[in-house]
Amino acid sequence: MNLAEGVQVVSFSLLSLMMLGSALGVVLVSNIVYSAFLLGGVFISMAGLYLLLNADFVATAQVLIYVGAVNVLILFAIMLVNKRQDFAPVPRAWIRRAATGLVCVGLFLLLATMVVVTPWAVSTQVAAGNSAIVAIGKHFFNDFLLPFELASVLLLMALIGAVILARRELIPEQPTAPAQPPALMLPERPRELVSAGASRSAQK
Amino acid sequence: MDFASLAAQLNTEVILPELIVTATLLLVVVGDLIVGRAASSKWTPYVSIAGLLAAVGSLYFLWDKPNPISFLGSFNGDNLSIVFRGIIALSAAVTILMSIRYVEQSATSLAEYLTILLTATLGGMFLSGADELVMIFVSLETLSISSYLLTGYTKRDPRSNEAALKYLLIGASSSAIFLYGLSLLYGLSGGQTNLNDIASSITTAGLGQSIAVVIALVFAIAGIAFKIAAVPFHQWTPDVYEGSPTPVVAFLSVGSKAAGFALATRLLVTAFPYLTEQWHFVLTALAILSMILGNVVALAQTSMKRLLAYSSIGQAGFVMIGLVIGTDAGYSSMIFYLLVYLFMNLGAFTGVILFSLRTGTDQISEYSGLYQKDPLLTLGLSICLLSLGGIPPLAGFFGKLYLFWAGWQAGAYGLVLLGLITSVISIYYYIRVVKMMVVKEPQEMSDAVLNYPEIRWNLPGMRPLQVGLILSLIATSIAGILSNPLFTLSNESVTKTPMLQATVKPEKPVAVMKKSNESAQVSMKF
Repeated sequence: MNLAEGVQVVSFSLLSLMMLGSALGVVLVSNIVYSAFLLGGVFISMAGLYLLLNADFVATAQVLIYVGAVNVLILFAIMLVNKRQDFAPVPRAWIRRAATGLVCVGLFLLLATMVVVTPWAVSTQVAAGNSAIVAIGKHFFNDFLLPFELASVLLLMALIGAVILARRELIPEQPTAPAQPPALMLPERPRELVSAGASRSAQK
Repeated sequence: MDFASLAAQLNTEVILPELIVTATLLLVVVGDLIVGRAASSKWTPYVSIAGLLAAVGSLYFLWDKPNPISFLGSFNGDNLSIVFRGIIALSAAVTILMSIRYVEQSATSLAEYLTILLTATLGGMFLSGADELVMIFVSLETLSISSYLLTGYTKRDPRSNEAALKYLLIGASSSAIFLYGLSLLYGLSGGQTNLNDIASSITTAGLGQSIAVVIALVFAIAGIAFKIAAVPFHQWTPDVYEGSPTPVVAFLSVGSKAAGFALATRLLVTAFPYLTEQWHFVLTALAILSMILGNVVALAQTSMKRLLAYSSIGQAGFVMIGLVIGTDAGYSSMIFYLLVYLFMNLGAFTGVILFSLRTGTDQISEYSGLYQKDPLLTLGLSICLLSLGGIPPLAGFFGKLYLFWAGWQAGAYGLVLLGLITSVISIYYYIRVVKMMVVKEPQEMSDAVLNYPEIRWNLPGMRPLQVGLILSLIATSIAGILSNPLFTLSNESVTKTPMLQATVKPEKPVAVMKKSNESAQVSMKF
C-alpha cells in the first residue's frame, strides 16, 4: 500500500465514522437543535465522501445546498417555532422503539445483502474530475434539456407558492354579511359545529 | 453537435400542448401582476380554460405521429400519453369551472390559484409521456409540490394546514422511496436513464431476476401507489381530501390519479419487462386491498368529502384491474374507465361544491330533502353518484362492464368477482346519499336545506359552476349509451402504442361492442 492509498483509506474510515456517528446522533438525541446541527455533520461528511470519489462538483453542491440552505432552513424553522414543551412519556415506549429498531435493522440487512450480492457494473472510465462541470452543462443542454427547462417552471411555481403562504393578508372586515365564511378558510364548517346543528334538528 | 442539428433533433412539436399550457400559465401570472387582483379575476379563469382546451385540441393533431420521441428520448408522445394528457388537461379545465366561485368565496386570490393548478397540470401531462428517469422525477415533483401548495391554499383554516402538512410529509417520504428505487435502476443498468435502455442493459447483464431489481420494483411501486392512493399507501387520502379546498380534491382525485396511472403503465411496462409476473402480483394485491378497504370504509362516512375520498380509493382499485391483466383489452378498459370517471367524479364534486357554497356544510345528513329546494343539483349529483356506483345505463356501468369483461377474458376470475361484490357494496353508500336527497318528506328536511338560499345563477362565478354541472351531467348520462367514440379512442390508443404492443399477452383482438353475451350475466347483480 503506497502513501496515497493509505491516506484514502484513513480518510474514508474517518469520514464514515463521522457520518455514522452523527447520523445516529440525529435520531437518538432528544434535543432537536442538536439533531439539526448533527444533520449538518452528516451532510458535510457525505460531501467528503464525494470528494474521495473524485466528484468535486457534487461535493460542492452538497455543501452549498444541503448544509448552506436546507440545514440552515431547518435550524431557522426550529428557532422560529421556539416552543418549549415537555412531552409526557408514552407508556411502554420501549415496545415502539424495539419495533422501529427491528424494522430498521431488517431493512438495513436487506439492503446490505442486496449491495453485496449484486454484481454491479463498475465503470472503468476515468472520473471526469475537474471537467465534470463542463460535462454536466453539456448534458443540461443536450439530453436533459426538457427536465432542466421543466425545473424552471417548477421553481417559478414554488416561488409563487412560497409568496402566497408567507404573505400577510389584508382580510376585509365584513360586519354586514355574517353568512359569509371567514376569509381564507374552507367554506365547509368544521365537523363539531355541524354535528351540533344536526343534533339540534333531531331534538325538534 | 451544433445548434441547428440539435434543434432539428429535438422534435419540439410533440410537446406543443405543454407549451400552450406553459404560455397560459405565464400569461395568467404576468397579466395578474399588471392589472391587479380585482381586475384580473374577471378574465384569468377563462383564459386558463381556453388554454387548456387549446392544449386538448392540439393533442388531436399529434395523434398517430410517426416519430413521437422528442427531446432526445426524454419524452415519448405516443398515443397512450396523448389520451392521458387529454384526461389531465380536461380535468383541470373542469376543475377551474368549479373553482371560480369557491376561491372567490374563500377570499383567496384566484390568479395564483390558477397558476399553481396549471403547473400541476403541466407536471401531470409531462409525467404521462416521461420516458426517462430524470424527466419522470422532475415532472412527478412538479405535480406533487403544486398539489401540496393547493392543499394548503386556504391558509387560515387549521384543517387545510393539517392536510397540507400531512400530504407534504407523506408525499416527501414516498418521493424519497421512489427516488431510491430509481437510483437502483440507474446503478443496475450501468448508468442508463432511458427506460428502454435500462430494460435492455439489465437483461443483457443477466440481472433480470436479481434481488436488487426486485427491491427497485417494490420501491417504485410504493411511490406510484402513493400517487394513486392505493391501499396500504392511502392513509393520507381521507384527511387531505377533507381539509383541502374541494376543487383541489376534485383535481387530485382525477387529474393527479390519472397521471399516476400513466406513470405506472409506462414505468412498469417499459422498465420491468423481465418481472412482469411479479409486478402484476403486487398490483393485484394492492387492487384487492383498495377495493375492499375503500368501499367498506366508505359505508361508515358521514362527511361527503370523506365519502368521496374512500370511494376514490375503491375506484382506483377497479382501475388497477385493467392494469394488472396486461392484455390489450385490459389497458384500453383502464383508459375507458378513466375517461368515464373523469366526468362522473368531477360532476359529483361540482354538486358537492355547489351544496357547500350554498349551505356551508358537506355532511351527508344535511342533504336530506334537497330535492324540494334544488332539483337541478339533486339531479346532477344523483346521476353522477349512481354512475360512480355503476347503475345502468349510465357511463359508469359501461366502464365497469368493460373492465370486468376484459378481466374475465384474461382469466382473472377472482379479481372480477371481488370487483363485482365491492361494487355492489359501493352502490349501497352512493344510493344512501341519493335516497337522502330525493325521498325525504318535506318535514324531515335538514336545517341546512330549510334555510336554503334562493338559487341565483347570476352571482359572480356561479355561471361556470352551472355549466360544469350540466356538462358533466350530460357527459355522464350519454357517454354510456353513445360510448363508441370513447371505446374507439381507448382501443386505438392501446393498439397503436408500440410500448404496450411489445409486451402485451397474445390474445384475440379486442371487440368493441361485445357486451351482449356478458351483460346478461353481469347485470343480474343489479
